[in-house]
Amino acid sequence: MRKFINLLRKEVKELITFQLIISLVFTFLLFSFMGDIMKREMRRASSSQTVYILDLDHSSLSKKVINNLAFFNLKISLLEKKDKEEAIEYANKNNINFLLIIPENFEKSILRFEGREIESYSFIRSFSMSSTSTSGVINYIISAINRVISDDLLKSKVPNIDPQELKNPVKNKEFVVVKNKTAQGSPQEVLNFVYSQSIFLPVILMMIIIYSSQMVISAMAMEKENKTLETLLTVPINRRDIVLAKMLSSGFIGLISAGIYMMGFKIYIGEFINKVPTSTQLSTVIQELGLSLTTQGYIILGVSLFLAILCALSMAIILGVLAEDLKTAQGLIILIIFPTMVPYFLSIFSDINSFSLPAKIIVWLIPFSHPFLALQNILLGNYIPILYGILYMVLVFAILVIIATRIFSSDRILIMKLQFRRLRR
Amino acid sequence: MDIVVNVEGLKKNYGKIQALRGISFHINKGEIFALIGPNGAGKTTTLRIIATLLSPSEGRVKVLDYDLKKEPEKIRESISYLPEEAGAYRNLKGIEYLSFMAKFYSPDPKDIEKFLERAKGIAELGDRLNDKIGTYSKGMTRKLLLARALMTRPLLTILDEPTSGLDVINSLEVREIIKRYVKEGTSVLLSSHNMLEIEFLSDRVALIDKGIILDVGTPKELKEKYNASNLEEVFREVVR
Repeated sequence: MRKFINLLRKEVKELITFQLIISLVFTFLLFSFMGDIMKREMRRASSSQTVYILDLDHSSLSKKVINNLAFFNLKISLLEKKDKEEAIEYANKNNINFLLIIPENFEKSILRFEGREIESYSFIRSFSMSSTSTSGVINYIISAINRVISDDLLKSKVPNIDPQELKNPVKNKEFVVVKNKTAQGSPQEVLNFVYSQSIFLPVILMMIIIYSSQMVISAMAMEKENKTLETLLTVPINRRDIVLAKMLSSGFIGLISAGIYMMGFKIYIGEFINKVPTSTQLSTVIQELGLSLTTQGYIILGVSLFLAILCALSMAIILGVLAEDLKTAQGLIILIIFPTMVPYFLSIFSDINSFSLPAKIIVWLIPFSHPFLALQNILLGNYIPILYGILYMVLVFAILVIIATRIFSSDRILIMKLQFRRLRR
Repeated sequence: MDIVVNVEGLKKNYGKIQALRGISFHINKGEIFALIGPNGAGKTTTLRIIATLLSPSEGRVKVLDYDLKKEPEKIRESISYLPEEAGAYRNLKGIEYLSFMAKFYSPDPKDIEKFLERAKGIAELGDRLNDKIGTYSKGMTRKLLLARALMTRPLLTILDEPTSGLDVINSLEVREIIKRYVKEGTSVLLSSHNMLEIEFLSDRVALIDKGIILDVGTPKELKEKYNASNLEEVFREVVR
């Protein structure tokens, strides 16, 4: 144990380099900076827009419409110009974004049910996020105007009935069913909430796996390149301890690095996530459906995550043995990145349950798939696939550690490189 | 125990390539025994086998009375190996590296302290031991590694091309260190293709080429036998 701790300390010291610290700090600052910009843009986009209106009709209906628009979170400003051309020129010069022109005879045409066009002008001055997201403002204004006028018309024709009852005689009472639990609520809101809560998990997992594996492979390659491995293999320490010390240290540093990256990422993406409404009503629905993670759920998820990391690290050790130098190591990491990316994208964009059996088997055979699938299964109460996934990862990890230890305990640790070199020739 | 290493009929194959074709030799206690030969002769393979890094394909190797195949862990406790052009952990300070290696050989802090004091004396790097190894020159790294190899007073020290890649001054200093410290009881197995270096350092020499030992003897015996003025001429005569 004493020798193992000595080795573990050395491995950690070797991994915590100045470059690593700089890269972590830089990435964190970059994410924070991007998040800050994003936040400002989103705020600008969601702030109430000022709409300039030129009323050429000056009717009671046009005035009513203008007055009512203020209730739709819009700032209204009336332009006193003699015609359309003058209003457009003024808007152009004064950085006005939205201009609406209510034509002459607007009221007359509406009351005769002839339909009438309102000209709307959107002035594009940049292509930033706030500019693109405000492009829907005009549609929003037109629909608000239509609502005001149609309500008014209906009230005048059928004064005793609420216009909304006429326009929407059928209402939707939504229920969400998850397994055997039913709750009244919007499925869209429930899905959005679950998605917002689980979006971080695949990113965290992918980052830890890739980061830690890269560290192990690079550490192995460096040991070989500097011939420190040859020295290490001749000192009195169990070869299995060398394998485990490399895995543990890389896993530990990978975990810390991923944590720091995630803090930055959370700042960056936080603004999008905060957009998801979490009303008291939604919280109740989530609770009724059992869609929030319990302590037990977190533990199961943690075990699944931990085993996937161990599988990746043991695989990285074996690949590291093959790496002749740091350059080869950087190429070999793709053999871990690719099988990690597959379940990562699948978990985000599709549902494995809808796959054909052969496709499902391929996904299940990738050990890193299981924690990606675990969260969904925990929320849906499907514990059997999670258990099988955990058992499978334990098996894969045990096999990989046995292979790695055997390689370290034999000539292969040096010869595998020779054969690899020969193959490349 | 007068014989530290005993090698009999040692063969090593890498697939179809025969690196060693049945070599035999022994190393006496307190002796500097050298393997000399050109590149690809089988020197490093022999050293790696005795250092427990590689397993023999055939033959019998006993190191310090332990069978190499059966008890490599026991052998590792009493040997130290310095590979050719080896490096050290660049992110560690020199003293940290020595301390890290010393802790594998004794749990007692007093012993570790003794190892470090000895290493400081061998390396003669002074305050530079408190600097990161990444800042060391090739010569300094080699001295540090030599200090690491000798600090625990191993019963057998295996040195592969100890002066390879070093300039004249550093090579001389390394040779002097080896000569000075091995007389304290350790036996040395070293390899080199620098025959003059071997003549200066070794008590006995084995001439190896294409995986076969061609002759063994003291430098003096070999020079007399082949009527040569130095080992380079001896080697030329032997391979003829």
